[in-house]
Amino acid sequence: MEDVTRPDVASGVHDVAQPVVQRSFLARAEPYLYLLPAVIVFTAFMAVPVAGTMAISLTDWDGIALSGLEFVGLDNYVDAFTSDEFWRALWHNIVLIPFFVLLPAVLGLLPAVLVHQLKLRGARFFQAGLFLPYIMPGVLIGVVWRWILNPVFGPVNSTLKRLGFESPPSWLGDFTWALPTVGLIGAWAAYGFCYVLFVAGIQKIPNDLYEAARLDGAGFWEELKVVTLPGLRREMAVVFSVNLILALRAFDVIRATTNGGPGDETQVLALYMINSAFNANRVGYGTAIAVVLAVLTLLLSVLVLRLFRDNDD
Amino acid sequence: MIRRLPVYLLLMLGVVVAVVPFLITILASLKTTVELVQGVFSLPEEPQWDNYRRAWVDGNFDRFFINSLVVAFGVVVPSLVLSCMSGYAFARYRFRGKSAIFIYLLLGLVVPLQALVIPLFYLMREMGLLDSLWALILPQIAMSMSFGTLLMREAFSGVPGEIVEASVLDGAGSWRVLWEIMFPLARPFVGTLSLMFFIWTWNEFLLPLVVNVDPTFQTLPVGLLFFQQRWTSDIPVTAAGATIIFLPLTVVFLLFQRQMIEGLTQGAIKG
Repeated sequence: MEDVTRPDVASGVHDVAQPVVQRSFLARAEPYLYLLPAVIVFTAFMAVPVAGTMAISLTDWDGIALSGLEFVGLDNYVDAFTSDEFWRALWHNIVLIPFFVLLPAVLGLLPAVLVHQLKLRGARFFQAGLFLPYIMPGVLIGVVWRWILNPVFGPVNSTLKRLGFESPPSWLGDFTWALPTVGLIGAWAAYGFCYVLFVAGIQKIPNDLYEAARLDGAGFWEELKVVTLPGLRREMAVVFSVNLILALRAFDVIRATTNGGPGDETQVLALYMINSAFNANRVGYGTAIAVVLAVLTLLLSVLVLRLFRDNDD
Repeated sequence: MIRRLPVYLLLMLGVVVAVVPFLITILASLKTTVELVQGVFSLPEEPQWDNYRRAWVDGNFDRFFINSLVVAFGVVVPSLVLSCMSGYAFARYRFRGKSAIFIYLLLGLVVPLQALVIPLFYLMREMGLLDSLWALILPQIAMSMSFGTLLMREAFSGVPGEIVEASVLDGAGSWRVLWEIMFPLARPFVGTLSLMFFIWTWNEFLLPLVVNVDPTFQTLPVGLLFFQQRWTSDIPVTAAGATIIFLPLTVVFLLFQRQMIEGLTQGAIKG
Protein backbone atom coordinates (compact mmCIF):
# COMPACT_ATOMS: atom_id res chain seq x y z
CA MET A 1 0.00 0.00 0.00
CA GLU A 2 3.04 2.25 -0.25
CA ASP A 3 1.94 4.02 -3.40
CA VAL A 4 -1.39 4.88 -1.89
CA THR A 5 -0.52 8.43 -1.03
CA ARG A 6 2.70 9.13 -2.89
CA PRO A 7 3.12 12.36 -0.94
CA ASP A 8 6.88 12.69 -1.61
CA VAL A 9 6.60 14.90 -4.68
CA ALA A 10 4.06 17.42 -3.60
CA SER A 11 4.65 17.59 0.12
CA GLY A 12 8.19 18.52 -0.77
CA VAL A 13 6.78 21.46 -2.62
CA HIS A 14 4.88 22.59 0.39
CA ASP A 15 7.83 22.35 2.78
CA VAL A 16 10.41 24.14 0.65
CA ALA A 17 8.00 26.83 -0.42
CA GLN A 18 9.49 29.47 1.85
CA PRO A 19 12.39 31.24 0.05
CA VAL A 20 11.06 33.68 -2.53
CA VAL A 21 13.25 32.74 -5.49
CA GLN A 22 12.71 29.01 -5.18
CA ARG A 23 9.07 29.51 -4.60
CA SER A 24 8.39 31.05 -7.96
CA PHE A 25 10.14 28.17 -9.69
CA LEU A 26 8.37 25.60 -7.59
CA ALA A 27 5.08 27.40 -7.98
CA ARG A 28 5.48 27.06 -11.70
CA ALA A 29 6.42 23.41 -11.38
CA GLU A 30 3.56 22.63 -9.02
CA PRO A 31 0.83 21.70 -11.53
CA TYR A 32 3.26 19.43 -13.35
CA LEU A 33 4.19 17.70 -10.12
CA TYR A 34 0.53 17.05 -9.43
CA LEU A 35 0.09 15.60 -12.89
CA LEU A 36 3.27 13.56 -12.92
CA PRO A 37 2.08 10.32 -11.28
CA ALA A 38 -1.11 10.15 -13.37
CA VAL A 39 0.77 10.87 -16.59
CA ILE A 40 3.49 8.33 -15.83
CA VAL A 41 1.06 5.51 -15.06
CA PHE A 42 -1.16 6.39 -17.99
CA THR A 43 1.78 6.52 -20.37
CA ALA A 44 3.42 3.32 -19.19
CA PHE A 45 0.34 1.11 -19.09
CA MET A 46 -1.96 2.70 -21.61
CA ALA A 47 -0.25 4.91 -24.19
CA VAL A 48 2.80 2.69 -24.65
CA PRO A 49 0.75 -0.50 -25.12
CA VAL A 50 -1.55 1.27 -27.59
CA ALA A 51 1.49 2.39 -29.55
CA GLY A 52 2.73 -1.18 -29.23
CA THR A 53 -0.48 -2.49 -30.77
CA MET A 54 -0.02 -0.24 -33.78
CA ALA A 55 3.65 -1.12 -34.13
CA ILE A 56 3.25 -4.87 -33.73
CA SER A 57 0.38 -4.86 -36.23
CA LEU A 58 2.97 -4.03 -38.90
CA THR A 59 5.04 -7.08 -38.08
CA ASP A 60 4.96 -10.82 -38.33
CA TRP A 61 5.58 -12.08 -34.82
CA ASP A 62 5.01 -15.33 -32.96
CA GLY A 63 5.27 -13.60 -29.59
CA ILE A 64 8.18 -15.69 -28.37
CA ALA A 65 11.22 -13.38 -28.44
CA LEU A 66 11.35 -9.69 -29.26
CA SER A 67 14.19 -10.43 -31.69
CA GLY A 68 11.77 -12.42 -33.82
CA LEU A 69 9.83 -9.30 -34.84
CA GLU A 70 9.80 -8.95 -38.60
CA PHE A 71 8.45 -5.86 -40.34
CA VAL A 72 5.87 -6.76 -42.98
CA GLY A 73 4.13 -3.45 -43.61
CA LEU A 74 0.38 -3.72 -44.05
CA ASP A 75 0.40 -7.46 -44.77
CA ASN A 76 -1.61 -8.30 -41.66
CA TYR A 77 -4.34 -5.88 -42.68
CA VAL A 78 -4.39 -7.30 -46.19
CA ASP A 79 -4.61 -10.79 -44.70
CA ALA A 80 -7.52 -9.75 -42.51
CA PHE A 81 -9.47 -8.01 -45.25
CA THR A 82 -9.09 -10.99 -47.55
CA SER A 83 -9.96 -13.58 -44.93
CA ASP A 84 -13.42 -15.07 -44.69
CA GLU A 85 -13.00 -15.61 -40.99
CA PHE A 86 -12.46 -11.91 -40.38
CA TRP A 87 -15.54 -10.86 -42.31
CA ARG A 88 -17.65 -13.50 -40.62
CA ALA A 89 -16.55 -12.27 -37.20
CA LEU A 90 -17.28 -8.67 -38.17
CA TRP A 91 -20.67 -9.70 -39.54
CA HIS A 92 -21.51 -11.34 -36.23
CA ASN A 93 -20.76 -8.07 -34.45
CA ILE A 94 -23.03 -6.28 -36.89
CA VAL A 95 -25.84 -8.77 -36.29
CA LEU A 96 -25.54 -8.07 -32.56
CA ILE A 97 -26.10 -4.32 -33.05
CA PRO A 98 -29.92 -4.33 -33.34
CA PHE A 99 -30.09 -6.62 -30.31
CA PHE A 100 -27.70 -4.63 -28.17
CA VAL A 101 -28.78 -1.16 -29.32
CA LEU A 102 -32.29 -0.90 -30.75
CA LEU A 103 -34.13 -3.55 -28.78
CA PRO A 104 -33.19 -2.33 -25.28
CA ALA A 105 -33.79 1.29 -26.34
CA VAL A 106 -37.34 0.46 -27.41
CA LEU A 107 -37.95 -1.75 -24.38
CA GLY A 108 -36.73 1.03 -22.10
CA LEU A 109 -38.43 3.91 -23.88
CA LEU A 110 -41.96 2.56 -23.91
CA PRO A 111 -42.44 2.17 -20.13
CA ALA A 112 -40.54 5.41 -19.51
CA VAL A 113 -42.98 7.31 -21.70
CA LEU A 114 -46.02 5.66 -20.14
CA VAL A 115 -44.79 6.32 -16.62
CA HIS A 116 -44.35 9.98 -17.43
CA GLN A 117 -47.68 10.33 -19.21
CA LEU A 118 -49.72 8.75 -16.49
CA LYS A 119 -47.65 10.49 -13.80
CA LEU A 120 -47.07 7.21 -12.03
CA ARG A 121 -45.71 7.36 -8.52
CA GLY A 122 -43.01 5.05 -7.35
CA ALA A 123 -41.30 4.78 -10.71
CA ARG A 124 -38.04 5.05 -8.81
CA PHE A 125 -38.92 1.97 -6.86
CA PHE A 126 -38.66 -0.08 -10.02
CA GLN A 127 -35.30 1.36 -10.98
CA ALA A 128 -33.15 -0.77 -8.71
CA GLY A 129 -34.54 -4.04 -10.00
CA LEU A 130 -34.42 -2.97 -13.61
CA PHE A 131 -30.89 -1.66 -13.33
CA LEU A 132 -29.45 -4.70 -11.56
CA PRO A 133 -28.31 -6.75 -14.59
CA TYR A 134 -26.37 -3.77 -15.92
CA ILE A 135 -23.88 -3.79 -13.03
CA MET A 136 -23.16 -7.52 -13.21
CA PRO A 137 -19.99 -8.90 -14.78
CA GLY A 138 -20.51 -10.31 -18.29
CA VAL A 139 -19.08 -13.68 -17.32
CA LEU A 140 -21.61 -14.04 -14.55
CA ILE A 141 -24.43 -13.14 -16.93
CA GLY A 142 -23.06 -15.70 -19.36
CA VAL A 143 -22.78 -18.46 -16.78
CA VAL A 144 -26.28 -17.82 -15.42
CA TRP A 145 -27.92 -17.79 -18.86
CA ARG A 146 -25.98 -20.79 -20.02
CA TRP A 147 -27.57 -22.75 -17.25
CA ILE A 148 -31.05 -21.27 -17.77
CA LEU A 149 -30.87 -22.09 -21.48
CA ASN A 150 -29.33 -25.52 -21.04
CA PRO A 151 -31.22 -27.72 -23.53
CA VAL A 152 -31.49 -30.72 -21.22
CA PHE A 153 -32.21 -29.45 -17.72
CA GLY A 154 -32.40 -25.65 -18.10
CA PRO A 155 -35.57 -23.94 -16.86
CA VAL A 156 -36.46 -22.44 -20.25
CA ASN A 157 -36.60 -25.65 -22.21
CA SER A 158 -38.17 -27.71 -19.44
CA THR A 159 -40.91 -25.08 -19.25
CA LEU A 160 -41.34 -25.12 -23.01
CA LYS A 161 -41.58 -28.89 -23.01
CA ARG A 162 -44.17 -28.79 -20.27
CA LEU A 163 -46.16 -26.32 -22.36
CA GLY A 164 -46.20 -28.82 -25.19
CA PHE A 165 -43.30 -27.79 -27.41
CA GLU A 166 -41.86 -31.16 -28.31
CA SER A 167 -38.36 -30.14 -29.37
CA PRO A 168 -37.38 -26.59 -28.47
CA PRO A 169 -34.08 -25.37 -29.95
CA SER A 170 -30.90 -25.85 -27.97
CA TRP A 171 -30.42 -22.05 -28.07
CA LEU A 172 -26.72 -21.38 -27.44
CA GLY A 173 -25.75 -24.70 -29.01
CA ASP A 174 -27.89 -24.23 -32.11
CA PHE A 175 -26.32 -23.04 -35.36
CA THR A 176 -29.25 -20.77 -36.19
CA TRP A 177 -30.22 -19.61 -32.73
CA ALA A 178 -26.86 -19.12 -31.00
CA LEU A 179 -26.14 -15.60 -32.24
CA PRO A 180 -29.66 -14.18 -31.73
CA THR A 181 -29.68 -15.78 -28.28
CA VAL A 182 -26.46 -14.01 -27.36
CA GLY A 183 -28.06 -10.84 -28.71
CA LEU A 184 -31.13 -11.32 -26.53
CA ILE A 185 -28.96 -11.81 -23.47
CA GLY A 186 -27.30 -8.49 -24.30
CA ALA A 187 -30.69 -6.81 -24.68
CA TRP A 188 -31.79 -8.28 -21.35
CA ALA A 189 -28.77 -6.80 -19.61
CA ALA A 190 -29.29 -3.32 -21.08
CA TYR A 191 -32.99 -2.44 -21.15
CA GLY A 192 -33.14 -1.38 -17.52
CA PHE A 193 -30.21 0.96 -18.07
CA CYS A 194 -32.07 2.55 -21.00
CA TYR A 195 -35.25 2.88 -18.94
CA VAL A 196 -33.47 4.63 -16.09
CA LEU A 197 -31.74 7.08 -18.42
CA PHE A 198 -34.96 7.84 -20.30
CA VAL A 199 -37.03 8.33 -17.14
CA ALA A 200 -34.48 10.84 -15.88
CA GLY A 201 -34.36 12.53 -19.27
CA ILE A 202 -38.11 12.91 -19.68
CA GLN A 203 -38.35 14.62 -16.31
CA LYS A 204 -36.06 17.33 -17.62
CA ILE A 205 -38.31 18.14 -20.57
CA PRO A 206 -40.20 21.37 -19.72
CA ASN A 207 -43.85 20.71 -19.01
CA ASP A 208 -45.05 23.64 -21.15
CA LEU A 209 -43.87 21.77 -24.22
CA TYR A 210 -46.28 18.99 -23.39
CA GLU A 211 -49.06 21.44 -22.59
CA ALA A 212 -48.51 23.27 -25.85
CA ALA A 213 -48.60 20.02 -27.77
CA ARG A 214 -51.82 19.04 -26.03
CA LEU A 215 -53.40 22.43 -26.81
CA ASP A 216 -52.51 21.76 -30.43
CA GLY A 217 -54.45 18.54 -30.10
CA ALA A 218 -51.48 16.21 -30.35
CA GLY A 219 -52.21 12.56 -29.70
CA PHE A 220 -49.96 10.03 -28.00
CA TRP A 221 -47.76 9.32 -31.02
CA GLU A 222 -47.60 12.92 -32.10
CA GLU A 223 -46.52 13.98 -28.63
CA LEU A 224 -43.88 11.25 -28.62
CA LYS A 225 -42.56 12.35 -31.99
CA VAL A 226 -42.66 16.11 -31.48
CA VAL A 227 -41.83 16.52 -27.80
CA THR A 228 -40.46 13.41 -26.12
CA LEU A 229 -38.04 12.04 -28.68
CA PRO A 230 -36.42 15.40 -29.49
CA GLY A 231 -36.23 16.11 -25.75
CA LEU A 232 -34.41 12.84 -25.18
CA ARG A 233 -31.79 13.46 -27.84
CA ARG A 234 -28.93 13.58 -25.35
CA GLU A 235 -30.00 10.38 -23.59
CA MET A 236 -30.48 8.67 -26.93
CA ALA A 237 -26.97 9.62 -27.96
CA VAL A 238 -25.59 8.10 -24.75
CA VAL A 239 -27.67 4.92 -24.96
CA PHE A 240 -26.92 4.36 -28.63
CA SER A 241 -23.22 5.02 -28.48
CA VAL A 242 -22.64 3.05 -25.26
CA ASN A 243 -24.56 0.02 -26.44
CA LEU A 244 -23.07 0.20 -29.91
CA ILE A 245 -19.63 0.06 -28.37
CA LEU A 246 -20.75 -2.92 -26.27
CA ALA A 247 -21.90 -4.71 -29.43
CA LEU A 248 -18.62 -4.06 -31.21
CA ARG A 249 -16.46 -5.15 -28.31
CA ALA A 250 -18.66 -8.03 -27.18
CA PHE A 251 -16.44 -10.56 -25.47
CA ASP A 252 -17.22 -11.50 -21.86
CA VAL A 253 -20.72 -12.91 -22.33
CA ILE A 254 -19.74 -14.79 -25.46
CA ARG A 255 -16.59 -16.22 -23.92
CA ALA A 256 -18.68 -17.57 -21.04
CA THR A 257 -21.60 -18.89 -23.10
CA THR A 258 -20.53 -20.18 -26.50
CA ASN A 259 -16.84 -19.31 -26.77
CA GLY A 260 -17.54 -18.54 -30.42
CA GLY A 261 -19.40 -21.74 -31.21
CA PRO A 262 -21.12 -23.75 -32.44
CA GLY A 263 -18.67 -23.83 -35.33
CA ASP A 264 -17.79 -20.15 -35.53
CA GLU A 265 -21.38 -18.94 -35.45
CA THR A 266 -20.79 -16.55 -32.55
CA GLN A 267 -17.14 -15.74 -33.17
CA VAL A 268 -16.85 -11.96 -32.87
CA LEU A 269 -13.89 -9.67 -33.54
CA ALA A 270 -12.64 -9.51 -29.95
CA LEU A 271 -12.66 -13.28 -29.63
CA TYR A 272 -11.04 -13.71 -33.05
CA MET A 273 -8.36 -11.23 -32.02
CA ILE A 274 -7.50 -13.05 -28.78
CA ASN A 275 -7.54 -16.45 -30.46
CA SER A 276 -5.31 -15.26 -33.29
CA ALA A 277 -2.76 -13.73 -30.96
CA PHE A 278 -2.59 -16.29 -28.19
CA ASN A 279 -3.86 -19.58 -29.61
CA ALA A 280 -2.62 -19.34 -33.19
CA ASN A 281 0.49 -17.37 -32.11
CA ARG A 282 -0.08 -14.80 -34.83
CA VAL A 283 0.50 -11.79 -32.62
CA GLY A 284 0.99 -9.34 -35.48
CA TYR A 285 -2.28 -10.41 -37.06
CA GLY A 286 -4.11 -10.25 -33.72
CA THR A 287 -2.96 -6.67 -33.11
CA ALA A 288 -4.03 -5.68 -36.62
CA ILE A 289 -7.53 -6.84 -35.72
CA ALA A 290 -7.27 -4.87 -32.48
CA VAL A 291 -6.51 -1.74 -34.49
CA VAL A 292 -9.44 -2.38 -36.83
CA LEU A 293 -11.71 -2.91 -33.83
CA ALA A 294 -10.56 0.29 -32.15
CA VAL A 295 -10.90 2.39 -35.30
CA LEU A 296 -14.34 0.95 -36.01
CA THR A 297 -15.49 1.69 -32.47
CA LEU A 298 -14.24 5.24 -32.70
CA LEU A 299 -15.77 5.92 -36.12
CA LEU A 300 -19.18 4.52 -35.25
CA SER A 301 -19.43 6.31 -31.93
CA VAL A 302 -18.46 9.60 -33.54
CA LEU A 303 -21.09 8.90 -36.18
CA VAL A 304 -23.78 8.28 -33.57
CA LEU A 305 -22.90 11.41 -31.63
CA ARG A 306 -22.96 13.42 -34.88
CA LEU A 307 -26.29 12.01 -35.85
CA PHE A 308 -27.89 13.19 -32.66
CA ARG A 309 -26.12 16.50 -32.52
CA ASP A 310 -26.97 17.56 -36.08
CA ASN A 311 -30.66 17.70 -35.29
CA ASP A 312 -29.84 20.25 -32.64
CA ASP A 313 -29.05 23.09 -35.00
CA MET B 1 -56.28 4.05 -12.03
CA ILE B 2 -57.60 1.66 -14.65
CA ARG B 3 -55.16 3.05 -17.18
CA ARG B 4 -52.34 2.98 -14.69
CA LEU B 5 -52.67 -0.63 -13.72
CA PRO B 6 -51.40 -2.09 -17.02
CA VAL B 7 -48.35 0.17 -16.85
CA TYR B 8 -47.58 -0.94 -13.32
CA LEU B 9 -47.92 -4.52 -14.49
CA LEU B 10 -45.61 -3.81 -17.40
CA LEU B 11 -43.00 -2.35 -15.07
CA MET B 12 -43.41 -5.24 -12.70
CA LEU B 13 -42.87 -7.65 -15.57
CA GLY B 14 -39.72 -5.74 -16.51
CA VAL B 15 -38.41 -6.06 -12.96
CA VAL B 16 -39.31 -9.74 -12.76
CA VAL B 17 -37.54 -10.53 -16.04
CA ALA B 18 -34.48 -8.61 -14.87
CA VAL B 19 -34.29 -10.18 -11.42
CA VAL B 20 -35.62 -13.73 -11.78
CA PRO B 21 -32.47 -15.21 -13.36
CA PHE B 22 -30.57 -14.20 -10.23
CA LEU B 23 -33.25 -15.48 -7.88
CA ILE B 24 -33.45 -18.89 -9.50
CA THR B 25 -29.66 -19.06 -9.44
CA ILE B 26 -29.75 -18.60 -5.67
CA LEU B 27 -32.40 -21.30 -5.45
CA ALA B 28 -30.37 -23.63 -7.66
CA SER B 29 -27.31 -23.09 -5.48
CA LEU B 30 -29.15 -24.59 -2.53
CA LYS B 31 -30.44 -27.68 -4.28
CA THR B 32 -29.15 -31.13 -5.07
CA THR B 33 -28.63 -32.04 -8.71
CA VAL B 34 -31.77 -34.15 -8.55
CA GLU B 35 -33.90 -31.38 -7.08
CA LEU B 36 -32.66 -29.04 -9.78
CA VAL B 37 -34.60 -30.75 -12.54
CA GLN B 38 -37.78 -31.05 -10.50
CA GLY B 39 -38.84 -27.46 -11.00
CA VAL B 40 -37.30 -24.04 -11.28
CA PHE B 41 -39.13 -22.37 -8.44
CA SER B 42 -39.41 -25.37 -6.18
CA LEU B 43 -37.70 -24.98 -2.83
CA PRO B 44 -35.01 -27.45 -1.85
CA GLU B 45 -36.07 -29.95 0.77
CA GLU B 46 -33.05 -29.04 2.79
CA PRO B 47 -30.74 -26.16 1.77
CA GLN B 48 -27.51 -27.69 0.48
CA TRP B 49 -25.03 -25.30 2.10
CA ASP B 50 -22.38 -27.80 1.18
CA ASN B 51 -22.51 -26.46 -2.41
CA TYR B 52 -21.04 -23.23 -1.04
CA ARG B 53 -18.36 -25.04 0.88
CA ARG B 54 -17.40 -26.89 -2.28
CA ALA B 55 -17.33 -23.74 -4.36
CA TRP B 56 -15.41 -21.89 -1.69
CA VAL B 57 -12.85 -24.59 -0.88
CA ASP B 58 -12.65 -27.06 -3.78
CA GLY B 59 -13.33 -24.42 -6.39
CA ASN B 60 -10.75 -22.02 -4.89
CA PHE B 61 -13.31 -19.26 -4.56
CA ASP B 62 -11.70 -18.24 -1.30
CA ARG B 63 -8.55 -17.42 -3.26
CA PHE B 64 -10.43 -15.62 -6.08
CA PHE B 65 -12.44 -13.62 -3.59
CA ILE B 66 -9.39 -12.41 -1.69
CA ASN B 67 -7.62 -11.59 -4.95
CA SER B 68 -10.65 -9.62 -6.13
CA LEU B 69 -10.68 -7.65 -2.89
CA VAL B 70 -6.95 -6.93 -2.99
CA VAL B 71 -7.07 -5.86 -6.63
CA ALA B 72 -10.16 -3.71 -6.05
CA PHE B 73 -8.49 -1.82 -3.19
CA GLY B 74 -5.17 -1.76 -4.99
CA VAL B 75 -6.84 -0.08 -7.94
CA VAL B 76 -9.48 2.12 -6.32
CA VAL B 77 -7.38 3.85 -3.65
CA PRO B 78 -4.36 4.84 -5.78
CA SER B 79 -6.65 5.75 -8.68
CA LEU B 80 -8.60 8.09 -6.43
CA VAL B 81 -5.47 9.75 -5.08
CA LEU B 82 -3.95 10.22 -8.55
CA SER B 83 -7.26 11.42 -10.03
CA CYS B 84 -7.61 13.99 -7.25
CA MET B 85 -4.10 15.25 -7.88
CA SER B 86 -4.48 15.52 -11.64
CA GLY B 87 -8.01 16.91 -11.41
CA TYR B 88 -6.70 19.51 -8.96
CA ALA B 89 -3.93 20.52 -11.35
CA PHE B 90 -6.42 21.14 -14.14
CA ALA B 91 -9.00 22.86 -11.97
CA ARG B 92 -6.72 25.23 -10.05
CA TYR B 93 -3.69 26.03 -12.20
CA ARG B 94 -2.91 27.68 -15.47
CA PHE B 95 0.18 26.29 -17.12
CA ARG B 96 1.83 25.69 -20.41
CA GLY B 97 0.58 22.59 -22.24
CA LYS B 98 -2.50 22.36 -20.04
CA SER B 99 -4.99 21.52 -22.75
CA ALA B 100 -2.57 19.24 -24.59
CA ILE B 101 -1.99 17.14 -21.46
CA PHE B 102 -5.71 17.15 -20.72
CA ILE B 103 -6.56 15.83 -24.19
CA TYR B 104 -3.78 13.28 -23.92
CA LEU B 105 -5.25 11.88 -20.71
CA LEU B 106 -8.79 11.94 -22.07
CA LEU B 107 -7.80 9.84 -25.08
CA GLY B 108 -8.10 6.91 -22.72
CA LEU B 109 -11.88 7.36 -22.85
CA VAL B 110 -12.08 6.27 -26.46
CA VAL B 111 -9.54 3.44 -26.38
CA PRO B 112 -11.05 0.04 -25.62
CA LEU B 113 -9.00 -2.43 -23.59
CA GLN B 114 -8.96 -4.69 -26.65
CA ALA B 115 -6.70 -2.16 -28.33
CA LEU B 116 -3.92 -2.61 -25.79
CA VAL B 117 -4.37 -5.93 -24.08
CA ILE B 118 -2.06 -7.93 -26.36
CA PRO B 119 1.02 -5.69 -25.91
CA LEU B 120 0.14 -5.44 -22.21
CA PHE B 121 0.74 -9.17 -21.98
CA TYR B 122 4.24 -8.80 -23.44
CA LEU B 123 4.98 -5.68 -21.42
CA MET B 124 4.11 -7.58 -18.25
CA ARG B 125 6.22 -10.49 -19.42
CA GLU B 126 9.24 -8.24 -19.94
CA MET B 127 8.68 -6.70 -16.52
CA GLY B 128 8.41 -10.17 -14.97
CA LEU B 129 4.92 -9.37 -13.70
CA LEU B 130 2.90 -12.06 -15.48
CA ASP B 131 0.94 -14.16 -13.03
CA SER B 132 0.87 -11.58 -10.30
CA LEU B 133 -1.69 -9.17 -8.94
CA TRP B 134 0.48 -6.29 -10.15
CA ALA B 135 -0.39 -7.27 -13.72
CA LEU B 136 -4.01 -6.53 -12.84
CA ILE B 137 -3.50 -3.48 -10.65
CA LEU B 138 -1.13 -1.30 -12.67
CA PRO B 139 -3.01 -1.34 -16.01
CA GLN B 140 -6.33 -0.76 -14.29
CA ILE B 141 -4.99 2.28 -12.47
CA ALA B 142 -3.87 3.56 -15.86
CA MET B 143 -7.29 2.88 -17.35
CA SER B 144 -8.93 4.80 -14.50
CA MET B 145 -6.96 7.99 -15.08
CA SER B 146 -9.07 9.39 -17.93
CA PHE B 147 -12.46 9.28 -16.29
CA GLY B 148 -11.01 10.07 -12.87
CA THR B 149 -9.22 13.18 -14.06
CA LEU B 150 -12.28 14.38 -15.96
CA LEU B 151 -14.62 13.93 -13.00
CA MET B 152 -12.30 15.37 -10.34
CA ARG B 153 -11.49 18.38 -12.48
CA GLU B 154 -15.22 19.03 -12.67
CA ALA B 155 -15.61 18.46 -8.94
CA PHE B 156 -12.79 20.82 -7.96
CA SER B 157 -13.82 23.49 -10.48
CA GLY B 158 -17.08 23.72 -8.58
CA VAL B 159 -15.38 24.73 -5.33
CA PRO B 160 -15.74 28.53 -4.87
CA GLY B 161 -12.42 30.35 -5.27
CA GLU B 162 -12.93 32.40 -2.09
CA ILE B 163 -12.74 29.30 0.08
CA VAL B 164 -9.38 28.42 -1.40
CA GLU B 165 -8.05 31.97 -1.20
CA ALA B 166 -9.05 32.24 2.43
CA SER B 167 -7.11 29.14 3.35
CA VAL B 168 -4.09 30.20 1.29
CA LEU B 169 -4.09 33.48 3.28
CA ASP B 170 -4.09 31.33 6.39
CA GLY B 171 -0.84 29.88 5.14
CA ALA B 172 -2.06 26.56 3.79
CA GLY B 173 0.11 25.13 1.03
CA SER B 174 -1.44 23.72 -2.10
CA TRP B 175 -1.08 20.13 -0.85
CA ARG B 176 -3.05 20.93 2.28
CA VAL B 177 -5.61 22.93 0.30
CA LEU B 178 -6.17 19.87 -1.87
CA TRP B 179 -6.63 17.32 0.91
CA GLU B 180 -8.03 19.41 3.75
CA ILE B 181 -10.23 21.88 1.89
CA MET B 182 -11.05 20.63 -1.59
CA PHE B 183 -11.24 16.90 -0.99
CA PRO B 184 -13.90 17.07 1.77
CA LEU B 185 -15.97 19.47 -0.32
CA ALA B 186 -15.86 17.12 -3.30
CA ARG B 187 -16.93 14.12 -1.27
CA PRO B 188 -20.05 13.27 -3.33
CA PHE B 189 -17.91 13.08 -6.47
CA VAL B 190 -15.30 11.03 -4.68
CA GLY B 191 -18.00 8.62 -3.54
CA THR B 192 -19.39 8.17 -7.02
CA LEU B 193 -15.94 7.80 -8.49
CA SER B 194 -14.91 5.12 -5.99
CA LEU B 195 -18.04 3.15 -6.79
CA MET B 196 -17.31 3.36 -10.52
CA PHE B 197 -13.72 2.29 -10.05
CA PHE B 198 -14.84 -0.53 -7.81
CA ILE B 199 -17.44 -1.91 -10.24
CA TRP B 200 -15.10 -1.66 -13.23
CA THR B 201 -12.34 -3.45 -11.36
CA TRP B 202 -14.55 -6.08 -9.74
CA ASN B 203 -16.07 -6.97 -13.12
CA GLU B 204 -12.92 -6.85 -15.25
CA PHE B 205 -12.51 -10.05 -17.19
CA LEU B 206 -10.41 -9.68 -20.33
CA LEU B 207 -7.31 -8.32 -18.61
CA PRO B 208 -6.94 -11.08 -15.98
CA LEU B 209 -7.85 -13.69 -18.58
CA VAL B 210 -4.93 -12.56 -20.74
CA VAL B 211 -2.19 -11.69 -18.25
CA ASN B 212 -2.70 -14.36 -15.59
CA VAL B 213 -2.64 -18.03 -16.43
CA ASP B 214 -1.96 -19.25 -12.90
CA PRO B 215 -5.28 -19.57 -11.03
CA THR B 216 -3.50 -18.50 -7.84
CA PHE B 217 -3.64 -14.93 -9.11
CA GLN B 218 -7.09 -14.93 -10.63
CA THR B 219 -10.04 -12.80 -9.64
CA LEU B 220 -13.66 -13.87 -9.40
CA PRO B 221 -14.92 -13.47 -13.00
CA VAL B 222 -12.18 -15.61 -14.56
CA GLY B 223 -12.41 -17.92 -11.56
CA LEU B 224 -16.07 -18.48 -12.33
CA LEU B 225 -15.19 -19.32 -15.92
CA PHE B 226 -12.58 -21.91 -14.88
CA PHE B 227 -15.10 -23.26 -12.52
CA GLN B 228 -17.84 -23.61 -15.09
CA GLN B 229 -15.46 -25.44 -17.40
CA ARG B 230 -14.41 -27.85 -14.67
CA TRP B 231 -17.84 -28.65 -13.27
CA THR B 232 -19.96 -28.37 -16.39
CA SER B 233 -22.52 -30.81 -15.11
CA ASP B 234 -22.60 -29.72 -11.49
CA ILE B 235 -24.98 -26.78 -11.81
CA PRO B 236 -25.70 -26.29 -8.09
CA VAL B 237 -22.02 -25.74 -7.26
CA THR B 238 -21.58 -23.42 -10.25
CA ALA B 239 -24.70 -21.56 -9.12
CA ALA B 240 -23.17 -21.23 -5.65
CA GLY B 241 -20.05 -19.76 -7.24
CA ALA B 242 -22.17 -17.32 -9.24
CA THR B 243 -24.06 -16.32 -6.11
CA ILE B 244 -20.78 -15.63 -4.29
CA ILE B 245 -20.05 -13.08 -7.04
CA PHE B 246 -23.38 -11.33 -7.46
CA LEU B 247 -24.64 -11.22 -3.89
CA PRO B 248 -21.96 -8.83 -2.56
CA LEU B 249 -22.33 -6.76 -5.72
CA THR B 250 -26.10 -6.56 -5.23
CA VAL B 251 -25.66 -5.50 -1.60
CA VAL B 252 -23.23 -2.73 -2.59
CA PHE B 253 -25.63 -1.68 -5.32
CA LEU B 254 -28.65 -1.52 -3.01
CA LEU B 255 -26.70 0.44 -0.40
CA PHE B 256 -25.41 3.03 -2.85
CA GLN B 257 -28.13 2.80 -5.44
CA ARG B 258 -28.54 6.48 -6.12
CA GLN B 259 -24.86 7.33 -6.55
CA MET B 260 -24.30 4.21 -8.55
CA ILE B 261 -27.07 4.81 -11.06
CA GLU B 262 -26.02 8.42 -11.33
CA GLY B 263 -22.39 7.49 -11.80
CA LEU B 264 -23.01 4.73 -14.27
CA THR B 265 -25.29 6.82 -16.41
CA GLN B 266 -22.74 9.65 -16.36
CA GLY B 267 -19.82 7.27 -16.59
CA ALA B 268 -21.52 5.66 -19.55
CA ILE B 269 -19.50 8.07 -21.64
CA LYS B 270 -16.41 6.16 -20.55
CA GLY B 271 -16.50 4.34 -23.86
